[in-house]
Amino acid sequence: MVDFRTDRRAVLGLGAAAALAPRVGRAQPRPPERPRGQVVVGLSQEPTVFNPLMPGIEVDQGVWWNLFSPLWFTDPEGNLVADLAQDVPTTENGGISADGLAWKVKLRPGVTWHDGTPFTAEDVKFTLELINNSAFRARSRVGHQLVRDIQVTAPDEITWRMERAYAPYLSILSLTFMVPKHILGAAGDPNTAPFNNAPVGTGPFRWASRTAGDNITLTANTAYHGNGPFLERVVFKYIPDLTVLYTQFRTGQVDHTSIQGISPPFVREARTLRGRTIHVNQQASVEHIAPNLEYGPLADKAVRQALYMAINKRALIDAIYYGLPTPSESFLPRQSWAFNPDLPAHRHDPAAANALLDQAGWRRGAGGVREKNGVKLEFTNSTTTGNPVREQSQLLLMQDWRAIGAGMRVQNMPAAVIWGEFWQQSRFQSVMVAVNFTLGADPDVTPRFHSSAIGAKGGRGQNNYQFANEEMDRLLVLGATQFDQAQRRATYHRIQALLREELAILPLFQRADVEGVKEGLNGYRPNQNCSSNCWNIREWFWTA
Amino acid sequence: MSGFLVRRLGQSLVLLVLVSMVGFAILHLAPGGPMSQFASGSDMTQEDLDRIAEQLGLNRPLPVQYAEWFWRMLQGDWGRSFRDGEAVLNVIGSHLGATLQLMLTATLLAILLGVAIGTLSAIRRHSVFDTLATVGAMIALSIPTFWFGLVAIYLFSVWLGWLPSGNRSTPGDGSLPDLLRHLILPAMVLALVETAIWSRFMRSSMLDVVNQDYIRTARAKGVPEGRILLRHAFRNAALPMITVLGLQLPTLLGGALVTETVFTWPGMGRLFLDSISYRDYPVVMGILMFSATLVLLGSLLADLLHAVADPRIRLG
Amino acid sequence: MSLTITRPLAAPAFRRFRRHRLAAFGAATILLLTLGCFLGPFLLPFDDTTIDIMNRFAPPLSGVHVLGTDELGRDMLARLMMGGRVSLMVGFTAMAIGMAVGILVGAVAGFHGGWLGAALMRFVDAVLCFPSIFLLLALAALVSPGLLSIIILIGATSWMDVARIVEGQVKSLRERDFAVAAEVLGASDARIIVHELVPNAVAPIVVAATLNVARAILLESYVSFLGYGIQPPVPSWGNMLNNAQIYLTSAPWLAILPGLAITLAVTSFNFLGDGLRDALDPRMRAR
Repeated sequence: MVDFRTDRRAVLGLGAAAALAPRVGRAQPRPPERPRGQVVVGLSQEPTVFNPLMPGIEVDQGVWWNLFSPLWFTDPEGNLVADLAQDVPTTENGGISADGLAWKVKLRPGVTWHDGTPFTAEDVKFTLELINNSAFRARSRVGHQLVRDIQVTAPDEITWRMERAYAPYLSILSLTFMVPKHILGAAGDPNTAPFNNAPVGTGPFRWASRTAGDNITLTANTAYHGNGPFLERVVFKYIPDLTVLYTQFRTGQVDHTSIQGISPPFVREARTLRGRTIHVNQQASVEHIAPNLEYGPLADKAVRQALYMAINKRALIDAIYYGLPTPSESFLPRQSWAFNPDLPAHRHDPAAANALLDQAGWRRGAGGVREKNGVKLEFTNSTTTGNPVREQSQLLLMQDWRAIGAGMRVQNMPAAVIWGEFWQQSRFQSVMVAVNFTLGADPDVTPRFHSSAIGAKGGRGQNNYQFANEEMDRLLVLGATQFDQAQRRATYHRIQALLREELAILPLFQRADVEGVKEGLNGYRPNQNCSSNCWNIREWFWTA
Repeated sequence: MSGFLVRRLGQSLVLLVLVSMVGFAILHLAPGGPMSQFASGSDMTQEDLDRIAEQLGLNRPLPVQYAEWFWRMLQGDWGRSFRDGEAVLNVIGSHLGATLQLMLTATLLAILLGVAIGTLSAIRRHSVFDTLATVGAMIALSIPTFWFGLVAIYLFSVWLGWLPSGNRSTPGDGSLPDLLRHLILPAMVLALVETAIWSRFMRSSMLDVVNQDYIRTARAKGVPEGRILLRHAFRNAALPMITVLGLQLPTLLGGALVTETVFTWPGMGRLFLDSISYRDYPVVMGILMFSATLVLLGSLLADLLHAVADPRIRLG
Repeated sequence: MSLTITRPLAAPAFRRFRRHRLAAFGAATILLLTLGCFLGPFLLPFDDTTIDIMNRFAPPLSGVHVLGTDELGRDMLARLMMGGRVSLMVGFTAMAIGMAVGILVGAVAGFHGGWLGAALMRFVDAVLCFPSIFLLLALAALVSPGLLSIIILIGATSWMDVARIVEGQVKSLRERDFAVAAEVLGASDARIIVHELVPNAVAPIVVAATLNVARAILLESYVSFLGYGIQPPVPSWGNMLNNAQIYLTSAPWLAILPGLAITLAVTSFNFLGDGLRDALDPRMRAR
């Protein structure tokens, strides 16, 4: 039997620890009666995609949260909260059938689009169909492609059937924004519709203007169906340079620095600024060294173990990242319900690493670099250029590894190059990268570690490490078809233990982003389960 | 004269086509592609990426893609940006104003200051002023613009609080005083480096002229020094400056990438870099065509001006 | 006081002395910088790549590290010297390549005119049509990153200005008396170009060369930033400056030191160029 409660709880687990830094004493300020004032959000990348179904990055999603609404969303504590839907469908309330195949969603009444047209079940049907429209450049069809027989049974009720039970679909829908049928449906080509640059949604703010390369301005939607908005205007300001972004936050031209807000070297100084609050938010992504497991020396497990032991993780986190992130042994964030807390802890032990390599037959050769059967213990490490903090980490690792006779060379590339075929077709030797392995909040990592997901071998997925392990394949299939959370947790604990043992990735730490908020601005609540902490600007307001 | 014009314009058109071919090939053959940024860790799978690349027509043979692009461009359709789906001409148009505002202000300032400093340096060669001007210019040229920008921001915005630390205007305020306040710092920083360049060329050109026979003859004849400098020397020294101006014309629109980045100025330089980093092929090609046209026009204009200013040059 | 100096014949001895002193200063500084960068690292007790994470951001003159340490605790003096090797090499070699190509193309085009001149200058126009980032992108796709490829990259993007300037000068000089006279006397084309025209166009060439040294040194850091340059940990003055950006207020010496080094090198080269120009310019020689 399929019990969707478990999977709903799956979403719940993420984020409890991400709950906001305690609000400082005094009486809670109250939001104003009418929207008042404006907030300038500084972003280091430019939002350019305003159709929420098309490919976009975090900054785009930050804008979407304010223009559009999903059927339900995940709050910082991990609860699913109904938005455009009346309730979140579950097996108890009859929204989802016991076998997980039949879904029924009742919609909230009285919701209107920004142009005044009522929002109905036809819009939901249109949205789901558009995603599956082969001519449309949809961001992702994962989950959506299983939807069949969409029927509008009443203006405020929609049903559909799933081709097979797919638990993460609740999470996926919590990140799927509804688009208006009466506008996009009337447009000839949805890829180039005028809507894409003048979006109309049901969100708390409506589209006002965009100056390309500079800013996007939204104004309050006074007819919003939920709580808020309390701000008259939101300006998303593109500030490409991080030093400049921080400076503008410092001088007060920017009220909130979002996503890559404040880079670690500025944090100490930022904490001393008057009238500014600094938040350190644990992210779901894990920074790691991605070895190419088919590349010469890195194919040897002993080498990976020795490399891992040689890393002075403490120095890396404390000195280069100013102690902000949390060391990690797993690919999952520690807030996840599936997180395995009993993995063997990393220990920095160059002597043991050296001994391990000696034992495995890697002998020191010319220049102190080890060799075995003519293969040199040498490899390159790549990351995106122009990231000074990552570069410093690379250099530290280089020195750590030189001490055990492993030669690492830096080979950094621009984003458009490194994340292309180089990464996807496993042309790298090793990469330094942060990945959010969860799908929504689900711990399923089949696309990342299943042997059938290796792009370089014609597989479908992102197993760029080229990890192939029979036990892993078996466990991944098991985990995706189990529905009892206790059983599922056991499976994912084993998966994490196996990955830690094999060191298919060398985990460094769970990332922490530092964001700043100007004093007097209330309502900021970081949310690990949404891709942007701009998810709830509707609740923000200035202290009078 | 008109024969020369027709011939040069014809040559320029052929060049434009060649430039577009080479540019198109370089851009598409360079490593990386427009979909890469989505592959680093989002929810998109390889399948999604491949599907979108196909929908964008990126896996057809290169000559086919070029032919289509070229044919559409002839009909006035420069394509749409991969990033925001806007028509390329609109994208360029929306960044042009900001660039022109900044570059024209800075260049005008730089030419005035640079020519004045260069002339003075030349006629008082090896004076204290000349040495100071030289060292000053060298410092201006040796330090990357972003440093001047950052120091200026710290000085005038963070410490003194006199001027805004960037942006073209205050959000919600578009008045003229507000625009001018925002223009001061970036224009000054940009003008600094350009002044250095202009003053070096002007100084050298002026030195060249004051040592020539006709100036010495004029001096020997007792013509007042001021008149010599203005009437004879300056006019001739300005001649090579025309070439420099012709060379500067395209950079006027190419914008000042670094200044734009430091002062978050939404101009062409920034657009070009963002488009290149994203591999936004249609926009990059659009800017390339746009700037190539300007380069060719600038070169033609410089030749024409040269001929007007220096009767010894035959056009041909 | 300056009046006495402006008068052309007022104090020729003093002027010549002053001129030579500056040129000599320039030459000596460049020699010193070069020697320091190429020999200095052998004399230092520190390596430029050794990381000492516990001892980072040590200010200059505060301990065993004379010029302090950087964000990873590496010795600044060692890095300045090693960085100087790269920057000086890139600056001068790329400039030399740019100059050689530019003068050749410009002189031939200006002297010959006609179809050859037109073809050459249209070629210059065509290359100028591509913004430097674009050319860098193209070349980077064809050559693998490294010091040599950077020098070629930068040289290849900096000859067009020179070609334009030289062509303009030569075209106007060709019609002047001395060139016409040389032609009438039956001098060969090459001889006229080398002995009459180019020396007369030397003034703007020297200026362009100076500007190009500075440009090349800074461009190197930019190329590295774009990901086609030398990779860390190899230092250059340009990328040291670039990386120091985020420490502007907390560790200003990280920026001031390489900034000073670049300024010193470029200024010295400029003074040297000024002296060189006097020595080469035939009109100056005549007096």
